[in-house]
Amino acid sequence: MSRINKNVILALLTLTSSAFLLFQLYYYKHYLSAKNGAGLSKSKGSRIGFDGTQWRTVKKFIMLTSSQNVPVFLIDPLILELINKNFEQVKNASHGSASECKFFCVPRDFTAFALQYHLWKNEESWFRIAENMGFQCLKFESKDPRLDGIDSLSGTEIPLHYICTLASHAVHLVVFHERSGNYLWHGHLRLKGHIDRKFVPFRKLQFGRYPGAFDRPELQQVTIDGLEVLIPKDPMHFLEEIPHSRFIECRYKEARAFFQQYLDDNTVEAMAFRKSAKELLQLAAKTLKKLGVRFWLSSGTCLGWYRQCGIIPYSKDVDLGIFIQDYKSDIISAFQDAGLPLKHKFGKVEDSLELSFQGKDDVKLDIFFFYEETDYMWNGGTQAKTGKKFKYLFPKFTLCWTEFVDMKVRVPCETIEYIEANYGKTWKVPVRTWDWKRSPHNVQPNGVWPISEWDEVIQLY
Amino acid sequence: MDDWKPSALIKPFGARKKRSWYLTWKYKLTNQRALRRFCQTGAVLFLLVTVIVNIKLILDTRRAISEANEDPEPEKDYDEALGRLESPRRRGSGPRRVLDVEVYSSRSKVYVAVDGTTVLEDEAREQGRGIHVIVLNQATGHVMAKRVFDTYSPHEDEAMVLFLNMVAPGRVLICTIKDEGSFHLKDTAKALLRSLGSQAGPALGWRDTWAFVGRKGGPVLGEKHSKSPALSSWGDPVLLKTDVPLSSAEEAECHWADTELNRRRHRFCSKVEGYGSVCSCKDPTPIEFSPDPLPDNKVFNVPVAVIAGNRPNYLYRMLRSLLSAQGVSPQMITVFIDGYYEEPMDVVALFGLRGIQHTPISIKNARVSQHYKASLTATFNLFPEAKFAVVLEEDLDIAVDFFSFLSQSIHLLEEDDSLYCISAWNDQGYEHTAEDPALLYRVETMPGLGWVLRKSLYKEELEPKWPTPEKLWDWDMWMRMPEQRRGRECIIPDISRSYHFGIVGLNMNGYFHEAYFKKHKFNTVPGVQLRNVDSLKKEAYEVEVHRLLSEAEVLDHSKNPCEDSFLPDTEGHTYVAFIRMEKDDDFTTWTQLAKCLHIWDLDVRGNHRGLWRLFRKRNHFLVNEEATINHPNFLGATPKGGGSPRSCRTDMRPPPGPCRAGPGSESNLFIDCPEGLGNRRKPVGP
Repeated sequence: MSRINKNVILALLTLTSSAFLLFQLYYYKHYLSAKNGAGLSKSKGSRIGFDGTQWRTVKKFIMLTSSQNVPVFLIDPLILELINKNFEQVKNASHGSASECKFFCVPRDFTAFALQYHLWKNEESWFRIAENMGFQCLKFESKDPRLDGIDSLSGTEIPLHYICTLASHAVHLVVFHERSGNYLWHGHLRLKGHIDRKFVPFRKLQFGRYPGAFDRPELQQVTIDGLEVLIPKDPMHFLEEIPHSRFIECRYKEARAFFQQYLDDNTVEAMAFRKSAKELLQLAAKTLKKLGVRFWLSSGTCLGWYRQCGIIPYSKDVDLGIFIQDYKSDIISAFQDAGLPLKHKFGKVEDSLELSFQGKDDVKLDIFFFYEETDYMWNGGTQAKTGKKFKYLFPKFTLCWTEFVDMKVRVPCETIEYIEANYGKTWKVPVRTWDWKRSPHNVQPNGVWPISEWDEVIQLY
Repeated sequence: MDDWKPSALIKPFGARKKRSWYLTWKYKLTNQRALRRFCQTGAVLFLLVTVIVNIKLILDTRRAISEANEDPEPEKDYDEALGRLESPRRRGSGPRRVLDVEVYSSRSKVYVAVDGTTVLEDEAREQGRGIHVIVLNQATGHVMAKRVFDTYSPHEDEAMVLFLNMVAPGRVLICTIKDEGSFHLKDTAKALLRSLGSQAGPALGWRDTWAFVGRKGGPVLGEKHSKSPALSSWGDPVLLKTDVPLSSAEEAECHWADTELNRRRHRFCSKVEGYGSVCSCKDPTPIEFSPDPLPDNKVFNVPVAVIAGNRPNYLYRMLRSLLSAQGVSPQMITVFIDGYYEEPMDVVALFGLRGIQHTPISIKNARVSQHYKASLTATFNLFPEAKFAVVLEEDLDIAVDFFSFLSQSIHLLEEDDSLYCISAWNDQGYEHTAEDPALLYRVETMPGLGWVLRKSLYKEELEPKWPTPEKLWDWDMWMRMPEQRRGRECIIPDISRSYHFGIVGLNMNGYFHEAYFKKHKFNTVPGVQLRNVDSLKKEAYEVEVHRLLSEAEVLDHSKNPCEDSFLPDTEGHTYVAFIRMEKDDDFTTWTQLAKCLHIWDLDVRGNHRGLWRLFRKRNHFLVNEEATINHPNFLGATPKGGGSPRSCRTDMRPPPGPCRAGPGSESNLFIDCPEGLGNRRKPVGP
C-alpha cells in the first residue's frame, strides 16, 4: 500500500507541475507581449539587438536623466547620421513600435549626449544617483572662459565633460555653456595627470579634442529604438557644424599686457568708432549668415582680435575675408537691402575680387575674396587711379570660431601665421599710418588691369 | 488568472480518471521493476525541469521589473562614492595631541601664535583697539574665527556677547586686549566672561592688559592680567604661554544625517565659527529654504549679482534672507567676493551657490568701483541671454516679496526708455514716512541698495566709460552724475524691499547707521499686489502727479513744518506743502525740511521734478516746489502776479540749523497762502 501511495503521489506531483509549467509558459509569453506593446512582436526574433549592452546603457542613462529632469539631447554624429537618413520614419514612429534596434545598437565605443549647463539644476545629486545606478563617471572641469576676459576674476570651475560607463559601454555627456553671441560652447577635454588613461579609449571621442562652438539648436523629442530622446530639430545642420566647430579663445592675458604697455584709447571718438564698427560687423555677419556665406575676420579687424581682443579704434574700417568658392552673386544686393550701399568693386570673380560697402558714420566694410593655390592663398588689391594690381599672399589656413565683441565669428585657426604674413613679426607694435599698397609684408605687384577691362574691374560709387 | 481556474477544475477530475487507469496498469506491470524505475526517474527529471524553468522565469521577471523601475537600487558603488566624497574630511590630527599657544597683550601690540605659527599679529597704530578673539578647532587647532571687538566704543560688547554665545561648546577661545578694552564693557559681557571661567575678565579696568585661553564650557587653560597703575598709563605687557590639549575629532564634530545638505554643512562647520545654530549638533538651522514659488514669475531668469567684500557674517545673513524670498532661483545667483577671502567663499559654498573671487585692484572707493564693474561684466558674460541683472550687496536684508515686487514692475524697464533703474530702496522711506506697500514712485535719484540694471544700459553706456581705477570715484555717485543718468528716473517702492543692516563698511559706521538707516521701513508682508504699475510710465506718471497735486489739501503754511501739528491728525488724506526753489537744483529749503523730518538730508534723494512724496501720520504728504502751482493742469493754481508774489510756500532758507518752534518766528519762514488756495478746502480736524 505504501508503495502505491508513493507512486500515486509521484504521478500527482508530475501532473500538477506540468499543469503549472504550461500555465507559466503561457503567462510568460503574455507578459512579454504586454511589455512590447499590444499585438506586436509575437516572436522573439523581432526584437533584434535589444539585449545589447549599448542599448541597455543608453536606456539606463536616459532613464536617469529624465527622472532627474536633466534635459540631455543626443549629439552622437554616428546616430544622428542614421536618424537623418531615416528622418521621416523616425519622426512618424510612435513609442514602442520599433521592432529592430537600428540606431543605438550599432557597434561603437561611445554614445554622445549634450546638455545646456544653465538648465541643469541638480548637478551634484545627479552625479551621485548615476553612481548609485552603477555608472562609473569621470568629470572634467576647467576654469570658466567667460571670466577670462575680465581682469582678475577667479570663479569656481565649471564642468565640461562627463564620461559615464556602464557594462563596457560609455556615455559621453558634453556640457554646453551659453556664451555672449547667442551660441553654445563646449570645452577641451584635457586628460590631467591623475586620470586613468585606460578608462575609455579617449582618442575615439567625437567631442572634446578641441573646444567647440555651435548654434543653439532647437530640440525635438523622438522615439528611437523604443527610447524617447531629444535630438536637434535639424540634425543635418548640426552634423554639418561638427567638423567646423573648433573654437579658439581670444588671448585675454596678452591683450591685457598689451593695454598695460599701450594704454587703451577711451576718447569719445574711439568709443563711437568701436560702437559703429561693432554694429557694422553685426549687420554684416547677419547678412552673410542669411546667405549662408562663410567669412572670417581679416586684416586690421583680425589683428585687433588677436592683439587686443577688441576693435582697433584708428583702423577706420571692418575687414572680412571670404573664400571665392563661397562667392554668391546676390551678396551685393543683400548688403544693399541691409542698408549698406556698395562703395566700390574691384576685380572680378575670376581674379582679385574685392568689395567695399559704406556703413554708417563713415565706417567702411571691406570684403576680400581669397583664392587658393596649391601651397598658398591670396587675395587681390587694385589701385583705382592706375589700374595697378596687387597680390597679398598667405600661408594656407583653416577656419575656427571665436568670440569677438559679443559675436561668434570665424578667424583663421593659424592666426599667428596669418597675422605675421600680413603685418610681419612686429605686429605687436601699434602702427597708425598704414599704406595698403606698401605697408603689408605680403604685398606683391601683380601687373596692371588691361584698360579694356577697367569698366568692369574698377567700379566706384 | 482566468486561465488558471479551468485547470484547477480539471485537475482533480483528471486525477480520478488517472487513478483507475493506473490500477489496471499496476496489475499488469507489478513485476516490471525496470519500467517502474524508469517512470519514477522520468517524473523526477520532469520536476527538475519545472524547477529550472521556474527559476528562470523568476529571474527574468525580476530583471524586467528592475529595469522598468526608475528607483535606483543601492549597490556597492554607492558606498565607494560616499567614501571618496568624505575623504577630504580631516580625521584625527596625527600623533601630536597638544597645542602650544602663546598670547601677548599690550598697549600697542597683540599677537597669538599656535604651535609657533603666528595666527594674529596687530601692531598697527590707531587700529585694532579692543578685545581680539580667536576661536580654534579643539581637534585640529585650526583657526575658525578671528574677530576684534572695540569695547572701548559703545555697543561693541553686545556684538562680542552675541559672537561668544554663538561659538560651539568645546572650542578653544583665545582673548587678548590691545590698547583699551574695558570702557564700554558692560555687565552682560563681564558676566559672560565670568561664565567662561575667567578670573580677570569680569574685573577688567581702564587700560588693563589681559590674555586668556580657555575652552568654551570647559576649563580655563591659562590667563594673565596686568592692572593699569594710573589713568594715564597702561598695564604691563603680558605674555601667556600655555598648552592646549587636543580632543578627538569625533568629539569636535556633529553627527548629522548623511545628506547632500549636511555634507555642505559639515564642510562649513568644521572650518569656521560664529554662525550660531547653523552648526548646532542637535537642531541645526536649515540651509535650504523652499520659499513659495511665484506665480507668473517674470524675474525667474534674471541673474542676481551679490557684491560682497570680507564681511562673511553679513553675507551669511544676506544670503539667508535672499534665499527665503519668494520666487528666488538659486542657480541665477552669483556672489562676487572682492579679494581672496576664504570665509565668504565658505559661506557661499554652504548655501550651494556660485562664488567668484576678484583680485583686488586699486584702493578704497575705486576698488569697490572696479569690483562692481568686473562683477557686472561677469554677470552678463555668464548669463548672455539675460536682459537685466539684479544687483545686491552683502549688507542687505531682502524682503520676502522682493522678487514679487520686481516681477510686477520689470516690464516698465523694458517699455519705458526714460527709466534708469528699478530699486528696492526708498531713500526717504523711514518708519514715520512710509506707509503703503503697494505704492510706487518715480524718482530722479538712483538709490541703489538692491536694484535692477538693464543690460543695454550697462553694455552700451556704462561699461565703456566706467571710471578707471586711478579715478577714486564711488561707482554710485558716478552713476548719479547727469552725464550718466541723462534725465532718466528710477522706480522705487514707498516701503523699501531691502534693509541696509551693515554697520561696518567703507562709508559706514555705527553712528551713521543709527541716524540714517536703522529706522528705515522694510516690507515684511508677502505677496503685495502693487497698485497701478503702468501709471509709473513717463506720461502717465505726470498725469498722476497732477491729479494728486490738484486734489491735495494745501497745508497751513503759517505753521512750523517741523512741528508734528503741521499735519492735521487725520488718516488717508493727501496734503501738500510748497517750498521755494530758485533753480531746478536749488534744494536748500528741502534739505532744511528733510533735516527736521528726520529723513535723508545729506544730499537730495527721492525727488521727481521738484516733488517729494512721503507719508506723515498716515496721510500722503507731498512737498512741491512752488512753480508747479502755475501749471495749467493744476486746477487750484492762482495766476502768477495776481496775489502775493511769493504765492504759497514754505521758505526755510534764512534760518540755518534746526527749525524754530512755533509760527510767527521773526524769520519769513512761513508765508500766508493766498485766499484762493488756502481756503480751497476746509482744514480738517480740530
